[in-house]
Formats: sequence, C-alpha cells, structure tokens
Amino acid sequence: MTRKQKRLAIIGTGMGFLALAAGLTFYALGQQTSYFYMPADLLSQHAAAGERIRLGGLVQPGSIKRGEGTRVRFVVADSENEVEVVYQGILPDLFREEQGVVTEGTLGSDGVFVADTVLAKHDETYMPREVAERLKEEGVWQEQ
Amino acid sequence: MFFWLLAALLTLAASLAVMKPFLRKADKDAAAGEHDIAVYRDQLRELDEEVRRGLISESDAAEARAEIGRKILRLTKAQEKSGAAPQHAKLAGAIAMAAVLAVPVVSWGLYAMLGSPGLPTLPLQARLQQDPSGASLDELIARTEAHLADNPEDARGWEVLAPVYARLGRYGDAIAAYRRTIALAGATADREAGLGEAMVGQSGGVVTADAEAAFRRAMDLDKANSRARFYTAMARAQEGRHEEARAIWQEMSESLPDDSPWKGVAGQALANLAAAQQQRAGAGAAGPSQEDIAAAGNMEPEARQEMIEGMVASLDAKLRDNPADPEGWRRLLRSYVVLGRRGEAADALGRALAALGAESAEGQALTEFAGTLGITAVR
Amino acid sequence: MSVELGHFALVLALALALVQSAAPLMGARIGSLPLMRVGEPVAITGFALVAAAFAALVLAYVQSDFSVLNVWENSHSAKPLLFKITGAWGNHEGSMLLWVLILALFGALVAAFGRNLPPTLKANVLAVQGLIASAFLLFILFTSNPFNRLQPAPIEGRDLNPILQDIGLAIHPPLLYLGYVGFSISFSFAVAALIEGRIDAAWARWVRPWTLAAWAFLTGGIAMGSYWAYYELGWGGFWFWDPVENASFLPWLSGTALLHSAIVMEKRSALKIWTVLLAILTFSLSLLGTFLVRSGVLTSVHTFASDPTRGVFILAILVFFIGGALALFAVRAAALAPGGLFHPISREGALVLNNLLLTTAAATVLVGTLYPLLIEALTGEKISVGAPFFNLTFVPLFLPLLVAVPFGPLLAWKRGDLLAAAQRLQIAFAAAALSGIVSYFLMDRASAFAALGLALGLWLIFGALTDLCLKIGIGKVPPSVALGRLAGLPLSMFGTALAHAGLGLTALGVVAVTTLEAESILTMRPGQVAEIGGYSLTFENLRPFTGPNYTEDRAVFAVTGEGGASLGEIVSSKRFYAARGMPTTEAGIRTFGLSQLYVSIGDETASGLVVRIWWKPLVTLIWLGALVMMVGGAVSLFDRRLRVGVPARRKLAVAAAGEGA
Repeated sequence: MTRKQKRLAIIGTGMGFLALAAGLTFYALGQQTSYFYMPADLLSQHAAAGERIRLGGLVQPGSIKRGEGTRVRFVVADSENEVEVVYQGILPDLFREEQGVVTEGTLGSDGVFVADTVLAKHDETYMPREVAERLKEEGVWQEQ
Repeated sequence: MFFWLLAALLTLAASLAVMKPFLRKADKDAAAGEHDIAVYRDQLRELDEEVRRGLISESDAAEARAEIGRKILRLTKAQEKSGAAPQHAKLAGAIAMAAVLAVPVVSWGLYAMLGSPGLPTLPLQARLQQDPSGASLDELIARTEAHLADNPEDARGWEVLAPVYARLGRYGDAIAAYRRTIALAGATADREAGLGEAMVGQSGGVVTADAEAAFRRAMDLDKANSRARFYTAMARAQEGRHEEARAIWQEMSESLPDDSPWKGVAGQALANLAAAQQQRAGAGAAGPSQEDIAAAGNMEPEARQEMIEGMVASLDAKLRDNPADPEGWRRLLRSYVVLGRRGEAADALGRALAALGAESAEGQALTEFAGTLGITAVR
Repeated sequence: MSVELGHFALVLALALALVQSAAPLMGARIGSLPLMRVGEPVAITGFALVAAAFAALVLAYVQSDFSVLNVWENSHSAKPLLFKITGAWGNHEGSMLLWVLILALFGALVAAFGRNLPPTLKANVLAVQGLIASAFLLFILFTSNPFNRLQPAPIEGRDLNPILQDIGLAIHPPLLYLGYVGFSISFSFAVAALIEGRIDAAWARWVRPWTLAAWAFLTGGIAMGSYWAYYELGWGGFWFWDPVENASFLPWLSGTALLHSAIVMEKRSALKIWTVLLAILTFSLSLLGTFLVRSGVLTSVHTFASDPTRGVFILAILVFFIGGALALFAVRAAALAPGGLFHPISREGALVLNNLLLTTAAATVLVGTLYPLLIEALTGEKISVGAPFFNLTFVPLFLPLLVAVPFGPLLAWKRGDLLAAAQRLQIAFAAAALSGIVSYFLMDRASAFAALGLALGLWLIFGALTDLCLKIGIGKVPPSVALGRLAGLPLSMFGTALAHAGLGLTALGVVAVTTLEAESILTMRPGQVAEIGGYSLTFENLRPFTGPNYTEDRAVFAVTGEGGASLGEIVSSKRFYAARGMPTTEAGIRTFGLSQLYVSIGDETASGLVVRIWWKPLVTLIWLGALVMMVGGAVSLFDRRLRVGVPARRKLAVAAAGEGA
C-alpha cells in the first residue's frame, strides 16, 4: 500500500464509524426519547396510547390509593386537568400529596397513565425542573 | 492585629516565592534537543530488550534502529541551525518587578473588598460554654437541646422546651417534645392541650381530627381546661356549626375570671364570628371559614389556595361527568366547606343525591356526612 | 481568625496564580531563564496556600462555626465528625475549592518533579496551569465564596442533604476530581506544545504518566460514584445514563483514547496532531462536565447549584479555554511535524481503531447528553434521553471495541499480522466460546444474549492472559525460563493486561446483572417469607432506632440459603432526618461471593410492608473490574521507563562517553 492508500484506509474507516454513529444517533433520537407532558398538555395535544412519555404535575391531595399489594393509584394534576396514574413498586421517599412528581410510562387507551418510574423531588428545595417551570408559568406554585 | 501580622508574613512568603529564581545564580539548562536524544536512546535500549525476549524479529529491529537513527540525525542538524535564544535581561527584570509587586497589591486589594477581617471564628462549643445571661433565645434552646441529647429521659426539660418550640413556629419539634413529655411524665390536661395546639399550628390553623382527639383527652382530665375548650369551639366553627361554637365561647367569656388570658381571646373569637356572619349575610359568598383559612394563610403561600381551588374545580367537573363516586362527593363537600363556599356545597350535595339516589345507602351516608358539616341539600 | 486567614490565603493564591500565568510565558517568549523558572516556586507556594484555605474551611466545619455561611447551610452540630469533614466538599462552594486544590496539587507536582523537562516547555505548561487556576479562583472568590460570613451567627446549621451523608461522598468527589483535573496537565502540555510550535520526543513521554494517573483516578471515581448511587439511592441501579454521570464518563472515554494514542506517539512519533487534539478535547470535556454539574442547567439528582450568574461565569471559562485552545490548534497544528508511517494492520492501526471507536462512542454520549438542552433552548420542548437511547447508540459502538481489544497487544508495531494474532488467540477464543455455550445450557435463566455477553467478558480476560503468556513464551521455553521472564517483564505490560482484564470483569458484571437479575416487589407481614435467587428471606420485624441526627424504622430480614442454613440477616431502613425534614431509604445489602442480595423497603400498607428484593448475580464484578483497571493504571505508572522520563544532562554525558569509548 502506498502512503496515500494507507491514509485513505484510515480516513475511510473513520468516516465509516462516524456515519454509523450518526445514523444510530439520528435513529435513536427519533425512537428513544420521551416527551414531557403536564396534565393540561394532554387536553390540547394528544399523546398516542402506548407512546412513552414523561408526565409531571402535583400529586392531588387525597388521591393516593393503595391497591392490593404493591399497586398504587394516584392522581397527577395541574390547574387545568388531572390524570390518573397506576404504578407498581416502591414510591420515592419524598412522594407526598401536593408535591411535585414526574412519572414515566405510557398512557393507556382508557386514559389511565401506567407508570414504570416515579421520580419525586429529591430534597426539600428541589422541585422537578419541568414541573416547577410550568407551574410557575401557570401561577399555581411559587418558590417558598 | 495578630491576623494582619500573619497575613503580612504570608504575603512576604508569596513574594519571596516569585523572587526565588532571581536570588540564586543561573545555571544553564540543557538544550531541548538533548532531551529528545535521551528519549531516542531509551527507545534503542528498549528495542534491544525486545529482541532479547524474542518479541520482535532481528530484521524488524534493524529497520526500527535505522528509523530512530534517522530521527537523531535530523535532530542534530536542526540544532546546528538554531542559534542561541536572544536575551532581554532588562525586560525580564521589569516583568519580574511587576510580578513581585502584583502579589501584595492584588491580594490586599481583593481581600479588603471581599473579607471580613474583624470577624472572629465562632466555634459552637465555645459559644455554648459562655455565660448564659447574655445568650439569645436561640442559644438557650441550643443549650437545652444539647442537655436533652445527653439526658433524653429528662421530662422537665422537654416540658420547658415544648411551648418554646410552639412559640417559634417549630410545630413539628413542639409536637415531638409534648409527646415525649407525656410518654415520660404522664398526661395532664395542659400537656394534652398544648399538644393539640401545636398540631393546629402545624396544620396551618385547622383543627384536625388528631388535634381534636388531644383536646378531648385534655378535657377528660380537666373539664375546665380553657385551651382545650377554646379549640374545641374553633373546631365547631370550622365545621360550620356556629351556634355550638358560639355557645362555648360565650360561656368562656362570661364565666372565666378577668385575669385569664382566654377570656379576651374567646371574646375576640365571638366578635370575629359575628362579623363574619354579618358579612356573609350581606355578601353571601365569603364565610367565616374563609377567614380561618386566610389566618392559616399567614404561613401558607397564597398560591396554595389558588391551587386548591383549581383542584376543587376540576374535581367538581369530574363528578359532573362521572357522578357515581361517593368518595369523590365527600371530598368535594368537605373542600367547599373548608373554602367557605357553602352554597356550592349544598348545590353539590343536591347533585350527588340526584345521582346516587337520596334513599340509597350511599345517599343516606352522604346526607349524614353533610349533616356533620352543617350542609343540607337545596332542591 | 482561622477562617479569615483561610480567606486571605485563597486571595493570595489568586495573586500567585496570576503571576504564574504571565511571568513564565513571557520568560519563554523573551528567553529569560530566571523568569521561566518563576513558575516552579510559585506553583508550589500557591498549592500550599490553597491547601491552607481548604484546611481552614474543614476546621470551620469540624468546629461547627455557623458564622460561616457555607457551614451554616450545609452542616449541623449533631452530625457525626466524619460527615462534618466530608460535608466541607459536599456542597457547591466547597467542592469548587476542592477542585482548585487538586488543580494546584497537580501544578505543584509538575513543578516539583519536572526537573528534567525542557525549560521552555515547563514554563509554558505551568503558565497554562496558572491560567486555569486563576480563572477558577476568580470564579470561587466572586460567585461561590465558601468564606462568606454570617452575622449574627445562627446557633444551629441547616444540615447536609442526607443522601450526601455517606462514606461514599468522602471518597467519590476527590477521586473524580483527581481524574477530571488531572487531565488539565495533558491539556497544558498540549497548549504549551502549540505555543512553542513544536513537539519534542520527550513530550509524549511526559504526557503519558499524567494521563495515566488521571485516567486511573477517574476510573476509580466513576466506579465509586456508581456504587454510591447503587446503595444510597435505593433503586438498585448501577448506572442511570444521568447527565451528571455522562459528564464524568465523557472525559473517561476520550481520556482512554488519549492514553492509547499517547503510546503511539511515544513509541512511533506518529499521531502527534491527533494526540494534541485529544488532550485538548479530554480536558474540554472535563470542563464541560464541571459546567453541567455546577451551573445547574440540568435536571438531575446531582444538581444542587442553581444560580445563573455562576452558570454564565463557568460558561465564559469554558468558552475561553476550549475556544482558545482549539483556535491555537487551528493556527499551529500544521507546524507540528508529521510522524512515522504505519500499515493499517499494525499495533498503531489497532490503536487508531481504538481511538476511532472511543471517540465516536464519546460523541454519541455527548449528543445524548446535550440534545435535550439544545432542543429546550431552541423550541422550548422538554424531552428526556434515557437508557434506551444509549443502549441503541453507545452499546453497538462499544461492543466491537471490546471484541477487538485482545488483538491490539498481539500485533507488531508498524506492520502486523492479523492472521497470526488470531491464531495465537485461538485458545482464548475457544475457552470463552465454550463458557458461553455451557452457561447457555446449564443455567436455567440464561438467554442467548446473556451467554454471548458472558463469552465476551471472558474473551477479554482470557485475551489479556494470552498476551502475558505469549510475552513470557509459555510453551516455547521451559517453565523456569518463562517464570524468570515473567519477573523481568516491564510493569507496563502487566498494566495493559490488568486494565484489559478489568474491562472484561466489568463487562461480565454488567451483562450478568442486566440479563440474569431477579427482582420481586411484594408486601410482607412479620413472619412472611420471600424466595429469590435460591435464598429465603423471612421478614422478622420492624423496629425503631435513633441515630445521631436521624430516627429510623429498621426492617430485619433473616436470610437462609438452600437447605435452610442460616446466613445471618439483612437490615433495610427508612430514615428520617429531622433537620431537613427529609426521609431517605437505606438499602440492605448482603454479599454472597461476587453476587448480592439487595433489599429496599417502602411504606407500610394495609396488607403489610412494601418490600423490593433483588438478586444481583456477579454485580460486584462491575466495580471490582474498575478496581482492577485502576490497579493496572497504577502498575503501569510505576514502570521504570515511565518514571525515568528524560535522563539528566550529567547522566547523558556519561552515557555518551561510555558509548564513545
């Protein structure tokens, strides 16, 4: 191989990997990202049943119901809408009524959100960012 | 003073560090090329080692040796070409001077801007051992807490601390302290009533079921406990049973001796109740409970109320769509009563009974529940 | 007084850092040797001053001096002493001071042990270090000053976030920062080379040990952070693809690439420009990580700072250093002489492949980390990029790298023979494949994917062993000779083998846990038994306990193995920290061999206590592998060839005379 060919071989391999990486990245960004919704958003824009999304809002007071075993139902709400959520597992330490929460999962065709992950704020001063921003926009929540 | 002396010494040390290279005689360093040659020589040695281990064939090694040799040759040529670097002794001196001066100027200037040189360190241990007469309330509490951490069985300490906590708005601590006192030294009417009051404080002015239970225990021990009676009346008022509340407060303000602080408080509560009722008769919408919530709102952000109202509205809307939910109706009624919107509560009860059937078991249970809130259906 | 003295020392350190960034640089420019030398004593004194400031802060924490704002915000008098000390860097201000302390430490090390460096190179390196230190000291003093005072002083502090009150926090950030900041040395060397417009052969020899040290610390730091999240957050996960984790993983990927390309540069003088670029990129990614974590732009469990002025300040630092270095690179890179030639199939070629795969993998992680921020900035839409994205992009790029690793050390420099290397690896390949097949048929839960993954991990380990065996000539020479050769083998070869085998161990652990893990969520009443992974857990009771600054409910589970043999108990608890009114979950973990039982408890419900139990097979290998990699790095570091650096002038003269004779 000449010097030129060697260099071409290396550059070619490099470009090949870059193309592969770029292709994978674009495909994955199209498929594997989840959008963030507040309950109010679900009124205006419809999330397809089965699409993986994040749903955030405040846990409605009095809405937490323990079912059989480890199954929990609660309602995530903002000022305009509310969504019922079912979740199986251990709720985070700071999951409480009237606290911000972000859940991840899919919306069922019956309008009930089936969550596989529940993230509550991790300390007293930290509210899930998306939730805090939207609630501030809506004027229903202020930083203490 | 001592601080400034130390700071000056540190600055001197720093300036000396800058000057150090100028204080000793310069020795000429090896030219850069010699460092390179050392590396190549190392590489030749490693090559021999690899040949000895049989990791590389003799012919490959010869090729590699030739390559390193060429590099050394190239380097020597390059070195011959480049002359010695120019020397600017004067300029260097000026730069060094500026650098040495910069150290005290920058450090003292910035520290004057940012520091608090007069402020001593305040280790907690030393502060707690000072004479208590000059100590602040916070310090006294901290001392008591430290004492109780070592002697957690000291009921007297907890009893002293509990009302102080409540006064400072540390209701959670107050509740824990009262419970501790009761557990260690037994229940008295005052302790139970204090516990109940702290619970009321924690829930933002609302007499919760737990708090009411505490007041009931207090009154079991001493029927005449003023604190417990006052809050029991408030509980009635918050449920909308104004006449019962009025009766208790009336009785308190009439029968209590003049030097009791509760006499005045009960009188004030009576006046508030009357004013609120008058206002309600006039405006219709706002009820006394509204004011209770506003009182609680001293600590709660206004936003919370808005949020609650938003949620109540959505609950109402949901029940219009799906009325077969007695638990939901119950929540809605209670919410309206707490918000002081009694008219809407009555209206909601009417809708609930229409949906559930007034004669059904659920309807009757709901009517009964509404009765405890002082609501009857409009229809 | 100690607090104010610490504050003054920090300001003085800034003054020295400014001198350090200007004087040696000018000295190198005008050729003044004393001026170039100013960097050395100044760097060492500067380190002493920052260390004094740090000690003053730690002392304030130990003494619970609540007249210091930072102590009041993050400490509590009832906290155990250990957490008072670690609390000093468990917050934004303190952690930035630690960052600068480590930066100053590295600068001082270069000054102290760089006696044999060419003087201009050393002057420029120290100047760049001084510049970085100046920027971060300014940042600390003006936006994040840990020495701000509070008057009147409160009597009690607000306590440290309970999830940070953990021994993991004592070790994780210092290790991580030693890695992050360690890369600043390779960055400074790269920038110094660009300023001078030439790269000495000594350059790579100098950069490699620093990179190696930084890489080893970063490996340890990431592993420690992963283990901390695993046991402290109570979710049982070891890696969340959280932006903050990615922020530490990115410099690791490009640092690993740098480590390998620096070998090519040292041995073969090739890939010079690429190595310089990688050195710049690696530290840039470290800076990016610092920006992401410290500016609060992320939604993440790790983000505790959220003041926009800080964000803008760090962004300015980021732009200045990355932009400046890349601009310098664009102007000067062409001046660097190109290096030696090599055939695509050779050790160099293998290392180039390694670099390509690592950097593209790093690029996908970078995109996945920054894309949500970009989308939000542009459209306001909020999206999250999680594990599924990285599984689809990073993993396919990383797998071929793992497959290729054992080939690299077996290829010759300049021109290699792939077929011969493959033949030599036959045994390793057969052993790994056989283990995969056996596990597929023997273990009842093993899927095809699990079997493949296990085979891959073992392939890396056996490949590393094969490399060592070939180097000492097992099979070709008598065992006694082979043993003698083993003793004489350069340490860096052991380092390579250990690092590659460690990678295999980690891969093995990751595969085993992700494919063979068993999980069970249930409610339990006292006396009830749960079965998992061949063990039985009996829920005995829930009892209250009072710690120094918390109260907790402890759930006790008795563990019995197969056949009913008692194996002790597991305790998991729900803690409540009164000072912050914050509950946490303490997971109960028991290690059996290399595997673990992991128990985390939830709330009490009408039907009993919610309990989540995991059986995590071979999970400890994930971190043990990282430890082995770290040891490999350390072993390499002690290689005589790396330590010697460049022989001193006198020795050189003797050697030259000896050769001449």
